[in-house]
Amino acid sequence: MRKILRAVKRRIHRRRLRSDGGTTDQRTKFLNRDSVRSAPFWLPPFLLVFLFVYGAIIWNFVISLTNVSNNLSTIDYSNLDFENYAIAFDGGTPSWARFDVGSYISPIWNAAQNTIVLMVAFAVVCLALGLWLAILVDRDIRFENTFRTIYLLPMSLSFVVTAKFWAFMYNREYGLVNALFEAVGAGSVEIIQNSTLLGVESIALGPIAIGSIGIPVKLAAIVFALIWQYSGYAMVVYLAGLRAIPDSHFEAARVDGASTIRMYWRVIIPQLRTATVSALVVLMVFSLKAFDFIYSLYGSYNPGSAADILATRMVREAYQNSRFAFASAIAIVLFVMALSIVAPYLYTQYRRGDL
Amino acid sequence: MSDENQYISRRNVLRATGVATAGALAGCGGGGNGNGNGGNGNGNGGNGNGMGNASGEVSILHAWGSGDGANALQALKDGFENEDVNVTDSVVQGAARSNLVSSIQTRMSSGNPPSTWQAWPGKNLLRFTADQYGDLEGDVWDSDLKDNYLEGPKQQAQVDGKYVAVPLNIHRINNLFYNTSVVEEAGVDPSSFSTPSDVLDAMETVASETDATPHAHANAAWTAGQLWETVLLAQAGQSGYNDYINGEGSRSAVESALEAVDTMIDYTFDDASSIGFPEASTRMQNGEAAFMHQGDWAAGGFGEDFVYGEDWDHVPFPGSEGHYALNMDSFPFPAEAPNPEATKVFLKYCGGTEAQIAFNREKGSIPPRSDADVSQLNEFQQDQYDNFTNSDAQPPSIQHGLAVVPPVLSNFGDAFSDFISNRDVGSTTDALMNAFN
Repeated sequence: MRKILRAVKRRIHRRRLRSDGGTTDQRTKFLNRDSVRSAPFWLPPFLLVFLFVYGAIIWNFVISLTNVSNNLSTIDYSNLDFENYAIAFDGGTPSWARFDVGSYISPIWNAAQNTIVLMVAFAVVCLALGLWLAILVDRDIRFENTFRTIYLLPMSLSFVVTAKFWAFMYNREYGLVNALFEAVGAGSVEIIQNSTLLGVESIALGPIAIGSIGIPVKLAAIVFALIWQYSGYAMVVYLAGLRAIPDSHFEAARVDGASTIRMYWRVIIPQLRTATVSALVVLMVFSLKAFDFIYSLYGSYNPGSAADILATRMVREAYQNSRFAFASAIAIVLFVMALSIVAPYLYTQYRRGDL
Repeated sequence: MSDENQYISRRNVLRATGVATAGALAGCGGGGNGNGNGGNGNGNGGNGNGMGNASGEVSILHAWGSGDGANALQALKDGFENEDVNVTDSVVQGAARSNLVSSIQTRMSSGNPPSTWQAWPGKNLLRFTADQYGDLEGDVWDSDLKDNYLEGPKQQAQVDGKYVAVPLNIHRINNLFYNTSVVEEAGVDPSSFSTPSDVLDAMETVASETDATPHAHANAAWTAGQLWETVLLAQAGQSGYNDYINGEGSRSAVESALEAVDTMIDYTFDDASSIGFPEASTRMQNGEAAFMHQGDWAAGGFGEDFVYGEDWDHVPFPGSEGHYALNMDSFPFPAEAPNPEATKVFLKYCGGTEAQIAFNREKGSIPPRSDADVSQLNEFQQDQYDNFTNSDAQPPSIQHGLAVVPPVLSNFGDAFSDFISNRDVGSTTDALMNAFN
């Protein structure tokens, strides 16, 4: 804190020095300063953003410390505690429960785990696929623009449209995905209401059992649909990155006798670091907002625990169960997750002077 | 451009920005106020002079945005002839009436409720305390209503022994609809069924004897939930059912009902998870399926040329014949109703036979009163009404909010949201038993 104050003071002090050789006595009048004279332009948006974004986040945090059920005009701010967070992580019956029965709240671990699985699987596959498409499109193919548009187009659709579209694709009787399974002789399978785990049932690392690792079919179906929608975005970001690499790097690698795979692996992909990081951040933040997609696919904000994510759980707690304070606690957990993705990115950008 | 001009234009920009900002802020404030003032008009009731000179506006908040519900409410309003009392209504749609509930809770807790709203009666009313409701005993619930409502609906209208709501209609949950030609082709006779396992046997026969799907069912949490409560009632009887809704259910009864439901879902369409109940119903009408369990609102969706008694028929769900499992809508009376006397006049009208016939003719349900003249209702409704007035008991529905308090219903819904995808009888039994924790 003291450090910051000192930095601010230094900054103010420096402002007073004129770079054209003037002395500190020639102070500009307060009202004539650039920052003040331009205030009409930056101050209103600054205040509005501060109030409606940061103010709302702070207020949300305060709400999460209260016991409010569903009417924000009756919040009691005199009694703040972390009970909602304790229940979110441990489960339990809150002290503010209005009913003797049915008030046990289960912890959010299941939804948190699904959120992370969805986020990681979606982001990683999306990037890999986007890179692959970008490299293909970058190789001077015919109809390059057409392909680029085709791959990018799904992103322009809303989640509601793509969710309804995939509900049809996954339909067991006439959906195309099952038609494909049947064509290869696999028979039709239930997809959107199938919570069977895809993956390894139980893994042991020597004597340590890790438990099962996998992804439920219905969650995988959601991830697949999201990948279909957003891999085009990853492609565009990578394509821009590839275009920025001078041709001489490709030529030099060729002259040195590198094969195509080796050339990309050793020379080109390492130069795509910035593109990867920025696409990754955007994709991960997108996946935290998969609520609309799930809501539209299932026609309800309860997709069952195999596909339940923090966003659906939060909305359910707030509007179905009238637990605004508890839902606010979940919102803060989501916010911290998003921040932990964005903050390191912003920090490295800042360190490299890109910000 | 000279400096002077630049300065003036900057000043103008500043002014414009200031005005715009003030306008935006005023807009926000205005919106908030408008919202709060909705229910405050004509707050001149409650002068203690009884109902003789009641006047003013009665506002209804509801989720009947379209279809049979909207028509029924319109018929109800049209039938209300009172020059002094003006009935208005507004719709809160979305999320299977969760948005309506959320809106009501906010307005109730801020002391600004509408005159009345659409609500499931029974335990659902307990989302507010008895003090938050006004007493309807005497003015509305007089000897006429008390004598003519059946015991089940009468209980559902009370909170802690106080009459706080007027039930409007009754939908039945324990039905088994069937397509007569498919059932005949399979050679089974639904009127001879007496237990849920007879239904399962018949489904097996349909599967082996015909090309039709035995069970028209949309695999959603709420359809599975209402099927389960029906099977529980049929297997465990009224006492077993009551034990469950009181949180003292027997694990074996819960599990056995769930096993039957699990098998019944096996007999439905492959794509049952992707369709809604209207689609399932359409397929039964087309002869693609034999049986359908659904509330009797489904009958309202049958096509004109799908004739009751010829093309389709109905039996009470086998094993629950003497019961009329209730799903109701009601109009509760908040303690802080803006125009209490006028509201009571309207609610009194809603408790009468004339209003209930007008409403239920459109809604496809039956009046909760035993003395209604049902000749204006259709043939199926008349048969259901006979069943109702002759029923031994009218158990409240769990899935439709009457039998359990809201958090238990929420846990119940979670249990079935999982069941329809994992179909795990063991873990769902645990979840159903733990729903009361």
